[in-house]
Amino acid sequence: MDPIQERSRQVTRRTLLRNGANGLGAMALGSMLGKTAFGGVRDKGLPHFTPKAKRVIYLFMNGAPSQMDLFDYHPKMREIHGIELPDSIRQGQRLTTMSSGQKSFPCVAPMFKFKKYGQHQTWVSELLPHTAGIVDKISLIKSMNTEAINHDPAITYINTGSQQQGKPSMGAWLSYGLGSMNRDLPSYVVMISRGKGNFQALYSRLWGSGFLPSEHQGVKFRSGKDPVLYLSNPDGIDPATRRRMLDGIAKINEAKYEETHDAEIQARISQYEMAFRMQTSVPDLMDLSTEPDSTFELYGEDARTPGTYAANCVIARRMAERDVRFVQLFHRGWDQHGNLPRDLRGQCKDTDQASAALVIDLERRGLLEDTLVIWGGEFGRTIYSQGALTETNHGRDHHPRCFTTWMAGAGIRPGYEHGETDDFSYNIVRDPVHINDLNATILHQLGIDHDRFTYPYQGLDQRLTGVEKPRVVTELLA
Amino acid sequence: MSTTLALLLLTCSPDGPITIEFGRDVQPILAKHCFVCHGPDQGTRKARLRLDLPSIVGEEQGILVPGQPLSSEFINRITHASADDRMPPAEESVLTPEEIKTLTLWVKEGAQYQRHWSFEAIEAPTLPPSGAWARNEIDRFVLAELAAENIEPSPEVNRATLIRRLSFDLCGMPPTPDEVTAFVSDESPGAYEDLVDRLLATDAYAERMTLAWMDAARYGDTSVHHADGPRDMWPWRDWVLRAYRENMPFNQFTVEQLAGDLLPEPTTEQLVASGFHRNSPTSDEGGAIDEELRVKYMVDRVKTTSNVWVGLSMECAQCHDHKYDPVTQKDYYRFFAFFNQSTEMGYQTRNGNAIPLISLPTEGQKADLAALDDSIQSVAAFFKAAAPSPGAFEEWHSAEHKQLLERDTPVLGTWYSAGPFKKGTKAEAYSADHGPEAIEVDVAAKVGGLDWKERSDQDGAVHTLGSTPNAAIYLTRTIHCERAQSASISLGSDDSIRIWLNGKIIFENDTGRAAAANQDQASLELPTGESQLLMKIVNGGGPTSYYFKMGAENLPEPVLAALKAEPEGLSEKARGVLHDHFIRTVWPEGIEQVSIKEAALARKAGVEKSIGTVMVMKDVAKSRMTYILDRGQYDAPHKDQPVEPGVLEDLLPLPAGAPPTRLGLAQWLVDPDHPMTARVTVNRYWAMLFGRGLVSTVMDFGTQGARPSHPALLDWLAHDFVESGWNVKRALKQIVMSATYRQDSRADKSRREADPENVLLARAPRFRLHGEFLRDQALAVSGTLVDKMGGPGVKVYQPEGLWNAVSLNRNLRFTQDHGEKLYRKSMYIYWKRSAPQPAMATFDTPIRDTCVVQRQCTNTPMQALVTLNDVQFVEAARHLAQRLILSKKDFNARLDLGFMLCTAHPATPLAREVMLETFKAQLAVFQADKDAALALLGMGESARDESLDAAEHATWTVLASMILNLDETLTRE
Repeated sequence: MDPIQERSRQVTRRTLLRNGANGLGAMALGSMLGKTAFGGVRDKGLPHFTPKAKRVIYLFMNGAPSQMDLFDYHPKMREIHGIELPDSIRQGQRLTTMSSGQKSFPCVAPMFKFKKYGQHQTWVSELLPHTAGIVDKISLIKSMNTEAINHDPAITYINTGSQQQGKPSMGAWLSYGLGSMNRDLPSYVVMISRGKGNFQALYSRLWGSGFLPSEHQGVKFRSGKDPVLYLSNPDGIDPATRRRMLDGIAKINEAKYEETHDAEIQARISQYEMAFRMQTSVPDLMDLSTEPDSTFELYGEDARTPGTYAANCVIARRMAERDVRFVQLFHRGWDQHGNLPRDLRGQCKDTDQASAALVIDLERRGLLEDTLVIWGGEFGRTIYSQGALTETNHGRDHHPRCFTTWMAGAGIRPGYEHGETDDFSYNIVRDPVHINDLNATILHQLGIDHDRFTYPYQGLDQRLTGVEKPRVVTELLA
Repeated sequence: MSTTLALLLLTCSPDGPITIEFGRDVQPILAKHCFVCHGPDQGTRKARLRLDLPSIVGEEQGILVPGQPLSSEFINRITHASADDRMPPAEESVLTPEEIKTLTLWVKEGAQYQRHWSFEAIEAPTLPPSGAWARNEIDRFVLAELAAENIEPSPEVNRATLIRRLSFDLCGMPPTPDEVTAFVSDESPGAYEDLVDRLLATDAYAERMTLAWMDAARYGDTSVHHADGPRDMWPWRDWVLRAYRENMPFNQFTVEQLAGDLLPEPTTEQLVASGFHRNSPTSDEGGAIDEELRVKYMVDRVKTTSNVWVGLSMECAQCHDHKYDPVTQKDYYRFFAFFNQSTEMGYQTRNGNAIPLISLPTEGQKADLAALDDSIQSVAAFFKAAAPSPGAFEEWHSAEHKQLLERDTPVLGTWYSAGPFKKGTKAEAYSADHGPEAIEVDVAAKVGGLDWKERSDQDGAVHTLGSTPNAAIYLTRTIHCERAQSASISLGSDDSIRIWLNGKIIFENDTGRAAAANQDQASLELPTGESQLLMKIVNGGGPTSYYFKMGAENLPEPVLAALKAEPEGLSEKARGVLHDHFIRTVWPEGIEQVSIKEAALARKAGVEKSIGTVMVMKDVAKSRMTYILDRGQYDAPHKDQPVEPGVLEDLLPLPAGAPPTRLGLAQWLVDPDHPMTARVTVNRYWAMLFGRGLVSTVMDFGTQGARPSHPALLDWLAHDFVESGWNVKRALKQIVMSATYRQDSRADKSRREADPENVLLARAPRFRLHGEFLRDQALAVSGTLVDKMGGPGVKVYQPEGLWNAVSLNRNLRFTQDHGEKLYRKSMYIYWKRSAPQPAMATFDTPIRDTCVVQRQCTNTPMQALVTLNDVQFVEAARHLAQRLILSKKDFNARLDLGFMLCTAHPATPLAREVMLETFKAQLAVFQADKDAALALLGMGESARDESLDAAEHATWTVLASMILNLDETLTRE
C-alpha cells in the first residue's frame, strides 16, 4: 500500500493536530496525489531520471504571435515586400477559409525595425526591447510546427497532445505524475490576462484533467476578492467562526470514521483543513503590496494593476518560490488578422518587460536553475497579408508550418537559436521541432521519459505526446 | 533450450485438469506484449505472423504445438537465450518469468484459444445454489464468489440508511423525515418493495436517470468550439425525461435516439429523440474548413455510439487497424458511413440551433396561430362578400382624379428585392456590404451574385421576405418627383433596418423585433427627378419582414398611375387596382378590416418567432460516399477504397431485413443476439448503484478492458434484461431488491483490507454524492427547492466574470437568473461547455464535450470551499435554520430535525454535544455582533423571516451549514 495512504488511514486528526501543520500537509498531499477513485496507476515510478526542472512556468501567448514580426526575421523580407507569395513557397499549403478566397497574397515585410542582440547576434524586433536583453539567457526555437490551422484545435493540441477534446492538459499530467511540492497551494495553477487585440475564446478544458482524476485539473486563480472560486468565507463568518465550524465537523466526522473505517472520511477532514489554509495562503500569495518598489521597476508599473499580465508574472514568480509545480499564464489577444502594426505593438508592450523580468528575477533568486520558463503560442502567422496591404497597415492569417517559441532555465541551453525557416518564414529548412517534440522535451527536463509516462484509458496507454514517436530536442539542452 | 525454460517445465504441473484459462490468463499477456506486431493491425504487423487467431495453432506451422512447448517456436522465442532472438524485443517490452510460465503452461495444456468473453453470445447461466442470505438470483451469484474466498456477506443495513441510500440511488434526492419514519416503522414484509416501486414511479427517478444519460450523450446548452454559442437541445433532454418516466424499453429508447428520423412516418417525438447525436460539439470558427469540421462531428458520433452501446473504443481504428480488438480501419469507416449521411454543415452557427432542426410550437402557440389564421381568413372572407354602397367608389374616383391633377406627388416605383445574404452572425450580416451599398443600384444587373426580383408589395402593410437567420435582404425602388420636396416615411422591420437615398445612409436602426406599422419615422429629402431608395433588412432569426409607407398623401405607383389616367376608358385592370385601393384605404369598413389583418399578421410573426426549435438528425437524399481516410485525415480519402455502411460483423451480422442506415445500426445494437449492448447497459446500471461496474472499465469491454468480477452474474442480468423486453425499471428493481444491495457499508478493518475495492461485494459501497445531488439536497432540506420538470436551462448563482474570461471578444456574458430559477434542480443548470457551472464542475460533473459513462468521484479542498462558501449552499443553510427554528421549540428537537433531514437519523449524542458547544459560543458572537449576523442572513436573493431573532437565526445557520458539510451528509452510505 502507498505509505501516504497507509498513514492517512491510521492517523486521526487529533494526532495530526499534535504533529502540527506538517502532518496535515502530508495527509492532504496524500489524498491529492494518491487517490484515484476509479482505477489508474498507483506506482508511477516517477521521475524516471534526475530532473533538471522542479517546476514550470508556461507563458502561453494565446492567439498566435507573429513570428516574423518578433523573432524570425530575414533581411531578404525587405526585397519580397509586396510580391505575390510564390507557389514554390506555398506548396499547396491549405489556408484557413478566412484568406483562402483572397485573390492576391502579397508578402509583407515586418513594419518594425530589427537589430541583432547577444553573443550570437540574434535578430529581435524593436517591439521586444526587454526580451532582446535576455537573448543570452534563452533558447529560441524558430522551427516550431503543428498541423492544426485554427485556434481551437491548435491550442487543444499543444496543451493536451491531441486535437480532439477530452484529453488531459500538460499541467494535469504533471500534477498526476509528479504530485505537489507544497502543502498550501494546488500543484497546477492557471491565470488569464488579455491585451487589447482580437482575442480568441479559451476553454476550461485547456487546463482540464481529461480522463485523469479531476483533482489534477488546473485551478484558475483570478484577480480580485476571490482569487480561487468560493475562497472567501460568507459574509458574517469570520475566521474564528470558520475554525469553530471545522473543528466541530471534524469531531463528528472522526466518530464516523471510527464507525465505518472508510479512509475517504480522513481524506475529507484533511481536505477541509487544506481549504482552510488556502484561505490564507492564496490571498497571501496574491497580495503584491509587500513587494518592494524594485519589483515594479523590474516588471513594469503595470504589475501594480491586478489582473494584468505583468502582475501575473510577479505572482508566477511568487508561486515558484512556494514550489507550485506548474503555473500557466494565458495572455490573450495575439490574433492579428488585421491591424497588425498597431495591435501587435500593444500586445508586446503589455508583455515584453514582464516576460523578461520574470527570467531575470528567477535567476537573481537562484530559481531559474530548476524552473523551466516557456514562452509561445499555438501556431504562427503568414508572410502574406490577410486583407488589404497598405503602407501602414495589414493583417496576417494563421500559419501552422513554422512559429517561434522560447525556453529558459532548468538545463535549457542559454543563448541558443534552434532551427531555421526560409526567407518567407513559411517553411522550415532546418531542424523542425513539432509541438509534441517540445512537450517531450519539457517532460524530459522534469525527469520524465514521455514514452513511458502513460495512463491506461479505453484500452490504450495514453500519452501527453500522442501516438507518434516524438523526439526530445537534445540540442536545446545545456 | 534455455535453462529458464527447462526450469519452468519442471515446475509445470503434469497432465491433469486445465488450469490456464485463455481469456483470463493468456490473452492479456499476448495483448500487452505481442499484438502490436502480431495482432489485428496489418499496418504494424511483423513477419506476417498473427497470434490473435486460433488458426496459428498446429503442428505444421510449428509455432504453437498443442501439448508440446518444446516444439513450439513461440515458446522457443520467448525464452531464447540470445537477446537478439528473444521475443519480444527487449526495447519494446519484457516478459516476466511469471508470464513466461503461464504461456508455457498454456501451450502444454493444449494452446486453446477462446473468443474474448464479451464477444461471445450471452447465454443464461446456471444458477448457483441458494442460501439463507440470498433474496434473489443476484445474491446466489455473489454468494458463490464469496464462498470461494471464504468471506461472509455483511448484514442488512439499518432501515434509515437504506431508505436514504435508495432515495439517492434511484431519485438523486434525500427522503423526507416523514418518509424515513414511515419506512422504519413499517413492519409489513412488502415494505421495502413498496418503497422501491414508489420511488421508481416518481419524476425524480426520471430526472436522476436522465442526468446520467446527459453525461453519456454529452448534453450541453452551448456548441463547445470557438465562440461556444448557445443552442437549445433541452427539448431533447425533456424527451429523455419522458422516456424514463414512462419506462420506455431500452431497445426503443436506443432506436428512437439513434434513428428516430428514419422510422416510417416519424412522430415529432421521434424526431426530437433523434437529436441525441446533435449534442455533438460543433464549431463556428471563422477560418475552419467545412469538411474537416464535418468529419470531426462524425468521429464524435462513432466514438459516442461505440462507447455507450458497444462498450468498445473504436477510436484507434480511425487512423489504423485496432491493435487489440477486432476493429479494422475499414470496419471503422463502415461504421462512420452510417453517420456520414447527415445533411448538417461543418461550419455551424454560434447563434442558436443549426439545421437540420424542427419547430416545436407549444400547445398555446399552436392555438394562438390557429386563432390568428382564423382572423386573417375572416378578413379575406369579408372582402369577398362585402362591398361599399353603390356609387361611393365612382364618387371618390372622380374627386381624387381631379385633386391629383392639381398636386405634384412623388411617384413611387415598384419594389425589387435581392437576398438573403447570409453571415455567421446578425451583426456581421448588418455591417457587411453584400453588393449594392457602395454602387448605383441597377435592378437589371446582378447584386452579390443574385438577381433583383420584382415584388408586388403594397405599401402600408407588413410584408415577409423570408426567414433566413443572420442574413440581409435588400429592397430598392425609384421615387420620381416633379419638384424637390421633403417626404416623411413610416417604417417597420424585423429586425434591423438601414436606408440609403441616392447612395447616402439616411436612416438606420440596429434592433431586434417583429415588424409592425410605424415603428420608425424618417424623412426623405427628394431632389427633382428620379431618386433611388435602397433599404436593407437584417434578420437575426424568425421571419424577415418590413413595413413601408410614405406620408398619407403618397400613393403607390400603380394607384397613382391609374388615378392620373382619365376615368373614361380606364382599363379593367387599372380600375381593379383603384377599386382595391379604395376598399382597403378609403372605405371605413375596409380600413377596419385591413387593420385587423395587419395586427393579426404582426402578432403571427411574433408568435412564430417565439416558437422553439430543436436540432434533429436528417440524412442526405442521395447517400454520400464514404472512403477510408488515410491516417484519419479528412483531406486524405483513399478514393480507391470506398466503403458501404456496415456494422462490426465479427460481433454480429446486421439482422436480416435491417436497412444499411442508422436505423439498421440501431436495430443491430438492440438485436437480442447482440453480445455487447445488454451487458454494457446492465453493467452501467450496476456501476450507478455500486459505484463500480461488474466490469470496472465501464466504457471498455474489449480485450484491454477489465474482465468481469462476476461474469455469470453479468450474463444473467444481461440475459434477463433482454428477455424482459429491455425493461429498465425491472433491471434496476432487481438489483436494489437483492440482499447484496441491502448490505451494510460499514466494515471492519480486516474486511476492508481483504478487499479494499470491494470487488467481491461483501459489503455495500460508500461514496460521495454527485454535486447535483448535494445541491438538490441542500435545496430540498431547506425547503427552497422548486421542483418543476423540464424546460430551458437555468442560470444559477456563480462567481462573476467566468464567461468573460473565456469568451470570444467579450461577446457572451453570463446573466444570472432570479426567483424560482435559482432553486431548480441542478440537472437543469445551464451547461456552458467552455465554462461549466463551477460548483458542479468542482464536484466532477463532466464538461460534457465528450461522452462520459462513469463520473470520477474525487475529494478535494475546492469541494469544501463550495459547500462551505458558495452562496447557494449558505442560502440553503439559512433557510434550513429558519425551518428548524419555526418547526421545533427546543434545541434538541431542532437539531434532530436537521439531522433527520440531512442524514435520516436524529443527532448522535456526540453530535449533540459538539453542536451545543458550537451553538453557545456562536450565539455569543452573533449577539455581540448583530451586523455579522445580518450579513450572514443576507446571503442569497431570497428573503428571510424577519420575525426571527437575527443572532439566533445566524447561529442556527452556522449549525445548518455544519450539518450540510458532514461527511455523512455528503455521502451515500
